[in-house]
Amino acid sequence: MQQILYLMWKEFKQVFRTREMLSIIFVAPMIQMLVLGFAISTEVKNVSLIITDFDRSSTSREILRAFEHTDRFRIVGYESSYRGIDNAIHRWHAQMAIVIPPNFGRDLQRGLQPEVLLIVDGLDGNTAGVALGYATGILRQFGQMVLRQRMLARPDAAIPVHQVVAEDRMWYNLDLQPEQYMIPGIVVLLITIISMLLSAMSMVREKEIGTMEQLMVTPLKRYQIILGKILPFLILAFVELGIVLVVAQFIFSIRIVGSYALLAGLAFLYLFATLGLGIFISTITQTQQQAMFVSWFFLIFMILMSGFFIPIENMPPLLQKITYINPMRYFMYIMREIFQKGSTFPFLLKDLVPMTVFGLLIFTFSVLKFQKRLA
Amino acid sequence: MNISVQTRNLTRRFGRFTAVDRVTLDVYEGEIFGFLGANGAGKTTLIRMLTGLLKPTEGEAQVAGFDVWGQSEAIKRRIGYMSQRFSLYEDLTAEENLTFYGGIYGLRRDQIEQRKAILFEHVGLQPFAGQMTRDLPLGFKQRLALACALLHDPPIVFLDEPTSGVDPKARRSFWNLIYQTAQLGKTLFVTTHFMDEAEYCHRVGIMHMGRMIAVGPPGQLKRQYDKSTMQEVFIALHQSSEEAA
Ligand SMILES: Nc1ncnc2c1ncn2[C@@H]1O[C@H](COP(=O)(O)OP(=O)(O)OP(=O)(O)O)[C@@H](O)[C@H]1O
Ligand SMILES: [Mg+2]
Repeated sequence: MQQILYLMWKEFKQVFRTREMLSIIFVAPMIQMLVLGFAISTEVKNVSLIITDFDRSSTSREILRAFEHTDRFRIVGYESSYRGIDNAIHRWHAQMAIVIPPNFGRDLQRGLQPEVLLIVDGLDGNTAGVALGYATGILRQFGQMVLRQRMLARPDAAIPVHQVVAEDRMWYNLDLQPEQYMIPGIVVLLITIISMLLSAMSMVREKEIGTMEQLMVTPLKRYQIILGKILPFLILAFVELGIVLVVAQFIFSIRIVGSYALLAGLAFLYLFATLGLGIFISTITQTQQQAMFVSWFFLIFMILMSGFFIPIENMPPLLQKITYINPMRYFMYIMREIFQKGSTFPFLLKDLVPMTVFGLLIFTFSVLKFQKRLA
Repeated sequence: MNISVQTRNLTRRFGRFTAVDRVTLDVYEGEIFGFLGANGAGKTTLIRMLTGLLKPTEGEAQVAGFDVWGQSEAIKRRIGYMSQRFSLYEDLTAEENLTFYGGIYGLRRDQIEQRKAILFEHVGLQPFAGQMTRDLPLGFKQRLALACALLHDPPIVFLDEPTSGVDPKARRSFWNLIYQTAQLGKTLFVTTHFMDEAEYCHRVGIMHMGRMIAVGPPGQLKRQYDKSTMQEVFIALHQSSEEAA
């Protein structure tokens, strides 16, 4: 026990004396969170919109007014041809266009189901999807309003069945606030980086400068070396978690709905996987540079396969299967659940169990691979 | 005399390359045993097997009465080791390095303070206790490394090229320190490729391409090969084993 405390004392001394380490731990996360958080949120707020109204009826003007009255969209121009729309999107002038066909108002009054055309720049799939969601929401509301008016006007008329619109309500992220969705993900990334990358780097650094060899000729037990090396980063990961939760609350006004204790407990289980990977990386690399390279390789794989950028449902089936071996996938899901829905323990079990099993497997394997001997 | 280190046909291969080839050797308690050899002769590999850092491929060895095959943890409690590369924490102060190793070896707080005082005195580093290790001159770093290796008062100390890279004056004073350490009753196992340093040892072993080609007190070796310095002995031995090969 004493030995572990001395190892931790030494590690903290070193961390707090290394400016780069401090900035990786305390400054970089803030910046990453602010940049990622705000970049993503402003994008989906002011979607630049082109309007093409072939109808020019009072109905079409009413629809367009609905688009003017939300800060989701910013109307950047009017076009009278598809060529014009194509041009505007190509020149990055507009991200989306709404096309109201001729006779739209008249057809709607007659009870036909005229269609409005929405054209989205799909280059940024995330924004495109969200913007499309807003736009269909606005149109759906409008459609219901028209329906209600018609019912009021002719109470005796039978409502044709096909006009009843199924509404897929957003239950949790009510406003489809992208920060709500992204921030928990960013939190996952940050604590993964700090626990995996920094623990790997710190272990390999001791190899590189030769102090690991010196530690290996002491009577330290293997588990003492490992705990002494990873506990500091476990603690730092929790400090980091605290910091980002505070930032989320005060800068993005995002409070987690669920329990903080549950969040902390599950983070602890997740950290077995990342710290285990940190140890593993340190056993297969000889220099800090190699460790950095291998860590980023793992990180990129884990992030891409976690549903952070690309929703898992949108992946090809083979890749979807691969995501099941990624501990980050489970924790990403768990974090979003706790953040947004306040899910409780029993509802998280189905992700919690595989996450913990993988975590412990990785951890055990790495600990066994770490030898108190050279070569 | 009691034997501190004993090896019998100790061998280590890396793949098909034999770095240490059937070395048989006895080192006695309280001795300064010098271990000579050109670059790549296998000195570090032999020390690493004796300190439990590498498993031997074949052969037997006992250190402080414990077997390297099954009792390396017991050995580790009884040896000090200064590796060939300087390997203390450069971003801790000299004193913090000592405190750290004291804690690692399980010394109590008061014991650590006591040993620190004794060792700073022993290696002459008191004025630099609070200095960051990276700012110390190399000669002083090596004294600090010796202090760390002696902190838990081990009976046997392995020093792998402790004087490489420092000027002759610093080498001279480090050897004084080695003598003073031997006077505390410790066995010192010192590798070097400076032949003048060989003259200071009680006994030397000369290694060539993994084989131990001569062992004995410097005076006796010089007489045996009819040379006036260890340098000449070494060169003569080298040539004869090249011819044999
Ligand atoms: N882990 C290893 N894998 C493969 N070969 C190794 C390994 N360690 C050492 N060797 C080889 O074994 C030989 C002996 O190396 P060793 O480090 O023991 O020599 P040395 O006598 O200490 O030399 P120096 O004076 O340069 O320190 C060298 O040829 C070296 O390349
Ligand atoms: Mg060597």
